[in-house]
Amino acid sequence: MKNTLGREVPESLGKRELRPFKGAFATTPAGRKAARPQKTVRPGENKVISSLEEAIAATGLSDGMTISFHHSFRQGDKVVNQVVDACARMGIKDLRIFPTALFPVHEPLIEHIKSGVISRIEGSMNGPVGAFVSEGGKLKQPAVLRSHGGRWRTVEAGDVKIDVAFIAASQADSYGNATGIKGKTPCGPILFSAVDAMYADKTVVVTNDLAPYPVFPFEIQQGWTDYVVTVDEIGDPESIASGTLRITRSPTRLRIARFAAAAVKASGYFKDGFNFQGGAGGISLAATKFVGEEMEKAGIVGGFAMGGGTRLLVDILRGGLVHTVLDGQAFDLAAIDSLREDQNHVLMDPGHYANYDSRGCATYMLDAAFLGATEVDLDFNVNVNTHSDGLLLHGIGGHQDVAAGAKMTVITVPTLRGRLPVITDRVTTVTTPGEVVDVIVTERGIAINPNREDLSERFRAAGLPVRELEAIKQEADELIRPLRKPVFGDEVIALIEWRDGTVIDTVRRVTRWK
Amino acid sequence: MSEICTAGTEAKRDCQVTVTRAKSIEIKIDTTNRNLLVAGIRAVVEETVAALGVKGARVDVVDSGALDYVVSARVEAALRMAIHELEVEPLAVKRNPTARDRLRRTRLYAPGNNPRLLVGIELHNADCVLLDLEDSVPPAEKYAARILVKHLLAALRFPEVWVRINPLDTYGRDDLAEVLRAQPHGVCLPKAEFAASINELDEELTRLEGEYGIPQGSTHIMPIIETAKGLLHCEGVAAANKRVVILAFGAEDFTRDLGAKRTQESLLFARSMIVASAKASEVQASDTVYPNVEDEEGLIAEARLARDLGFDGKGVINPRQIEPIHAVFSPSEQEIEQARRIVAAAEEAETQGIGAIAIGGKMIDRPVLKRAQRTLKLAGLIEKGGAQ
Repeated sequence: MKNTLGREVPESLGKRELRPFKGAFATTPAGRKAARPQKTVRPGENKVISSLEEAIAATGLSDGMTISFHHSFRQGDKVVNQVVDACARMGIKDLRIFPTALFPVHEPLIEHIKSGVISRIEGSMNGPVGAFVSEGGKLKQPAVLRSHGGRWRTVEAGDVKIDVAFIAASQADSYGNATGIKGKTPCGPILFSAVDAMYADKTVVVTNDLAPYPVFPFEIQQGWTDYVVTVDEIGDPESIASGTLRITRSPTRLRIARFAAAAVKASGYFKDGFNFQGGAGGISLAATKFVGEEMEKAGIVGGFAMGGGTRLLVDILRGGLVHTVLDGQAFDLAAIDSLREDQNHVLMDPGHYANYDSRGCATYMLDAAFLGATEVDLDFNVNVNTHSDGLLLHGIGGHQDVAAGAKMTVITVPTLRGRLPVITDRVTTVTTPGEVVDVIVTERGIAINPNREDLSERFRAAGLPVRELEAIKQEADELIRPLRKPVFGDEVIALIEWRDGTVIDTVRRVTRWK
Repeated sequence: MSEICTAGTEAKRDCQVTVTRAKSIEIKIDTTNRNLLVAGIRAVVEETVAALGVKGARVDVVDSGALDYVVSARVEAALRMAIHELEVEPLAVKRNPTARDRLRRTRLYAPGNNPRLLVGIELHNADCVLLDLEDSVPPAEKYAARILVKHLLAALRFPEVWVRINPLDTYGRDDLAEVLRAQPHGVCLPKAEFAASINELDEELTRLEGEYGIPQGSTHIMPIIETAKGLLHCEGVAAANKRVVILAFGAEDFTRDLGAKRTQESLLFARSMIVASAKASEVQASDTVYPNVEDEEGLIAEARLARDLGFDGKGVINPRQIEPIHAVFSPSEQEIEQARRIVAAAEEAETQGIGAIAIGGKMIDRPVLKRAQRTLKLAGLIEKGGAQ
């Protein structure tokens, strides 16, 4: 069946019936949320187990079940590989893994896919595992990619039932209260796993720092936790900054960032109480810095800024430019320190910030947000998942949730990456639909979604270089010969869910080139 | 054919091309994203090989994200190093000559042999871009650099683009012969010291304009005064030839030549002399670059000083210096308003046949009117150019 963007999507995934995307806010949920089985723990019962194998055995994990993880350690994570290795040693196979995201560090999972330990993946794949899956025929079922809010929603809705949640915690007590912002190797908030902890049949906290009761903040609560496992290592906090966190020095990219900040300033939203999302990519980071400088110059005090937490947002908070920073995850150690020490730097779970099936999202309170893209097209659709060659290489992150929520969503992209054009006639994969993308800022000018005539007038009045996206594209295309295009076959490698659980696009296997 | 010739590097945004002997054309391309990119790169290589009339060569390309013009340039450089007798045609360029007194608040320097630093060089709203073949290019790279600059000139559009050649007694003549094939708006002559060398350059330009079918006399000259000798002769340099539209100051080499330390005081005489020499010949004057990119306050202070001394603009080594300099060298709202009043009064006087112009009883003399007209012209140009 075709969705409203004209993308062909399958009718079912295994036994689960799928719904096609209809529009950013078109669906209305019905029915009741799913729930885990009842259980009681009586006074004096012990939850602490000293090895992963024993814990896995205690949960009753067996073939065909679903296990979940968070990605707060990002490229420094050591829990996913340890757990799957242990499952393999115990002879468990046919697992569905349900991580919030995988990183290049998880490349060893490829062997487990080949040997049948893992047969399905639902979660973001950044790097080698995504590339491997893209080659096709390796998983029993297409992978499913969801946004932060979409993943939370799918668990609550019961679309994905987690059998065992494994939650890395840099500090936990013996009763199962756990956090990621304290301990020997803090990784930042682990609230992405809160929904797993609440809804999984069994919840296992994995820690390298068992501390006296009570460990707080209660990101993961004792009432949700079945077992606490102690291991030597859960991750390397130095690696949570996955290389994206340097303000760009490239004059072209700085130009994009300056345009983006100027666009925010001219948008009409730039006044006291202004709320914004700071990015973590080189351009977004610079744009966020410039917005901070403009606020200082204009004497404007914002309401809240939203992370991924970075040193830059911490500085903006300390400088008194915003009242509050809301963070679901941390991208550097300065953000983690601040979350621990500053009561105006607030932990936030994805349900709070991004869940479509909820009674409110923090992203809906945003005035402006900076987001990136691997491709954009003339309908303002954005692709963050695949490259132009069809390889599945990146997760959705909060892209859909923020774009749908912010009053002004700004995509900051160079028109060319090396020889690769970023503006295309039709994105390889739709991650975020054009209807929620307001502005595309490039080094060659600023394109405004035709449905935002109001912004166009404001930007022109401020002397910003407003141009048609097609004219910008044409100018960039003149510098390179056209690329060959992948031709996609019928085999579906992955489904891209919109944040409401509908299918916005699929990733298909490349069969040939033309 | 020489044995093995290589042009370009494996640095980002460049491509390395190696040419070896072969009976027919053999092309091998190595790049990331092979499936997407190889066909496009191959097409560029084939066209370049055909344009040079080469019938037999093996061309190996290692691409690191180069744009088409970089690929063309590297292929051409390697082939010409290998096969000396190739016929080279001018590139198809349509460039309208620019006015003598156009807006030249900034001249942005760009190193002529570094594709990564050339990416987006046309986008920063500099009034003039100067592609450099002199100080930023080591001798061994001059050959490939001038071919790269030529292809860049043909591929990108600029409000005004210049090439800084080497002095005529070193590599300058070879630079000219190459880059004129893509018709820059002007040529910048470093270490200009005598009127004679300007005229020598004029003759060479006239010859090449004839050979390449460029309108006679359309290529501007920008002498850079950066030696003691140059400074003492700069009046003659500015007056030497009608191709000279702007006189630039290069303080780095100048202070070295003098054994002076760079301070505002030590440069004052040179600056004043250059401005006076330029204005005496109705030529613009452009101040030296400000070398500390991090220090915006210092940049603005120096730009203001230059403006107050009579300079029309200033050199730029990093795009982020452009906006502050433009702000300094653009007339303010009050200046524009005042200029409007003066010009209106002059028109009024003319229609009434009155010789003297007055505003509020105050007499306005000719130079003031001229300056007011210039202010309005600048304001108009700035508006048209969408200056940021």
